[in-house]
Amino acid sequence: MDISFALTGKGYVIVAADTTAARSIVKMKSDEDKIKVLSPHLLMAFSGEPGDTVNFAEYVERNLRLYHIRHTYALRPASAASWIRRSLAESLRSRSPYAVNLLLGGYDTATHTPELYWVDYMGTLTSVPFGAHGYGSYFALSLLDRYHDPEANLEEGLATLRRCIDEVSKRLVVSPGKYKVKVVDKDGVREIEL
Amino acid sequence: MSIMQYNGGSTIAMVGKDCVAIACDLRLGNQALGISSNFEKIFAMTERTYIGLPGLATDVTTLHEQLRYRLNMYTIKEERTMEPETFIHLVSSTLYEKRWGPYFIEPVLAGLQRMPGGSFRPFIASTDLIGCINFAKDFVVAGTASEKLFGVAEGLWEPDLAPEDLFETISQTLLNAVDRDAYSGWGAVVYVITEDKVIKRTLKGRMD
Amino acid sequence: MNSFADRFATTGTAAELRRIKEYVADDEDVSDSMWGSEAGFGTMAHGAPDFMVPSVPDPAAFLRLHTDDHADPSCRIKIKHGTTTLAFRYKGGVIVAVDSRATAGSYVASGTVKKVIEINPYLLGTMAGGAADCQYWETYLGMQCRLHELRNHERISVAAASKYLSNLVYSYKGMGLSMGTMICGWDKTGPAIFYVDSDGTRLKGDLFSVGSGSTFAYGVLDQGYHWDLTDEEAQELGRRSIYAAGHRDAFSGNTINLYHVKEQGWQFIGNYDVSEMHYNGPTGTQGYGYSVRVEGRSSANPPV
Repeated sequence: MDISFALTGKGYVIVAADTTAARSIVKMKSDEDKIKVLSPHLLMAFSGEPGDTVNFAEYVERNLRLYHIRHTYALRPASAASWIRRSLAESLRSRSPYAVNLLLGGYDTATHTPELYWVDYMGTLTSVPFGAHGYGSYFALSLLDRYHDPEANLEEGLATLRRCIDEVSKRLVVSPGKYKVKVVDKDGVREIEL
Repeated sequence: MSIMQYNGGSTIAMVGKDCVAIACDLRLGNQALGISSNFEKIFAMTERTYIGLPGLATDVTTLHEQLRYRLNMYTIKEERTMEPETFIHLVSSTLYEKRWGPYFIEPVLAGLQRMPGGSFRPFIASTDLIGCINFAKDFVVAGTASEKLFGVAEGLWEPDLAPEDLFETISQTLLNAVDRDAYSGWGAVVYVITEDKVIKRTLKGRMD
Repeated sequence: MNSFADRFATTGTAAELRRIKEYVADDEDVSDSMWGSEAGFGTMAHGAPDFMVPSVPDPAAFLRLHTDDHADPSCRIKIKHGTTTLAFRYKGGVIVAVDSRATAGSYVASGTVKKVIEINPYLLGTMAGGAADCQYWETYLGMQCRLHELRNHERISVAAASKYLSNLVYSYKGMGLSMGTMICGWDKTGPAIFYVDSDGTRLKGDLFSVGSGSTFAYGVLDQGYHWDLTDEEAQELGRRSIYAAGHRDAFSGNTINLYHVKEQGWQFIGNYDVSEMHYNGPTGTQGYGYSVRVEGRSSANPPV
């Protein structure tokens, strides 16, 4: 079961996802990147049905890239989220729906606002200050209710993320070992070692 | 677990004297887990027509976008705004279009209908998830707390309430009904629609 | 012999026998229903209470058919569940905190349930799962603990009390009992907590949370917990953790009941409304709620 977290802070969004790719009871890989960089200021953590996840993420990646090439600028986070949501909602009532859950973290360079969207496989979209998918959400959400600060600097934000990861490692029976962490802010996207 | 209860949420509309009110809770859940406390289910379609869309959250957004698109096309073609009584038929046929793969939404509508003389008549209606219209003279309810809303509304509602009294009635009805429902709550919003203005208020509700 | 006259005579062997019989088993001839129910504690002197069961080949399966509301929401008998309970040990004793919501399906059947059962002045039991199962068996445990005291002239240890309950519910395994409970108290060994459930699991530990909202409570509890908490900090942590669960879990909430177990026995600290905690907090100065706590703070970062 994949676990992903995301939280906003002063001028940034942190997106984290575990790096295990499992099949049945076997760990096939332990450094899988489950966070796609969709545009210079947009990140997407994806989890769910194996196969669907990467296929859908690449479908989104290419369409947003196409938009960028055609218009010379990328979609803003809210618009990108809306387009992705619609793709999932249409897929839901198709012959073989995508079963992919997303956390979309972006930085709107026009309003200087970090934005985070929680999206599930049905196409439910909501804007949140912090979010999580998978079993991790049952431990992390109450913790984030307690410790999250929208004005925290990056260091404080990462400390809060570490709390979430520690809590899941402590309490979840099948907890993943490693996480990949990416940040998006006014300067764009970068990966961070925890 | 029914798909209508997957995300939770409830809506209610009431008739007053020369006014109508519509209210919804703000919870978006994943079964028992609360995800968001700012998920509004009421949307302004025209200046005096508001629709509440409780049910499956993905369909709340999809149906809202679909209705907005069709309403805009009507407005452009006809060069006039759509009246609530017409709009509920648009909602109904949009839902029936998906008779064998429905949107899991039970819409609630509140608006002021423009009369031939230029005056306005309160209008409320609701439909089931495949578009059977229910016209009511007093109040309509939908969502996971609908049974509880019926009970409280039957007790509190009375005819010809002035806008402020109607606001109080619908607020108390919603707040007390959702407190008895595990899947609704986490705050609420109320719209009171009168001839010359619409008042939107966010209510402090129980957060558990 | 005149047997009719014998039966009513006040002297003679028949009358003597009758008197002895009355003395040794004064309620033998009286139905248990005079104690309020067939499973009444009145039978306690004669061993564990026995229950009427439906006369079908498999009574447990029969009951399950009519009560399992996960498989069949339209079933006739709805058993109340959904809960958050927690207890933790620290240097100042044991903190026990619970919510007070009972739900039947999505209906909030009650918001004023007492989920801490006061077994005796030194023992507390928490309630998760079947409300009736917990209430009944923990009350029964209380009576057994009292008998232990009378027989041995000393209080029962928390370990023994929890073992008694654990063995008892284990004997009903497979019959559909549903309870997840923490037996908390103070005995010769100091503060103690045992987790006991209807599977027959019994665990000794420092920190437990049980119920549908337990994961949310753990999230806050684990992060704030350490052994050297002051009494105020410990009580605040217990309250704050139940609030977190009440907020996020649809099946937990309404009010928080907080207890503190010390060497002199348990003490009831208070009853706190979850919504009141969200907006105003225990002192009325700072609400626990996320939206209340971060009011006015923004993650927007416009250039200055």
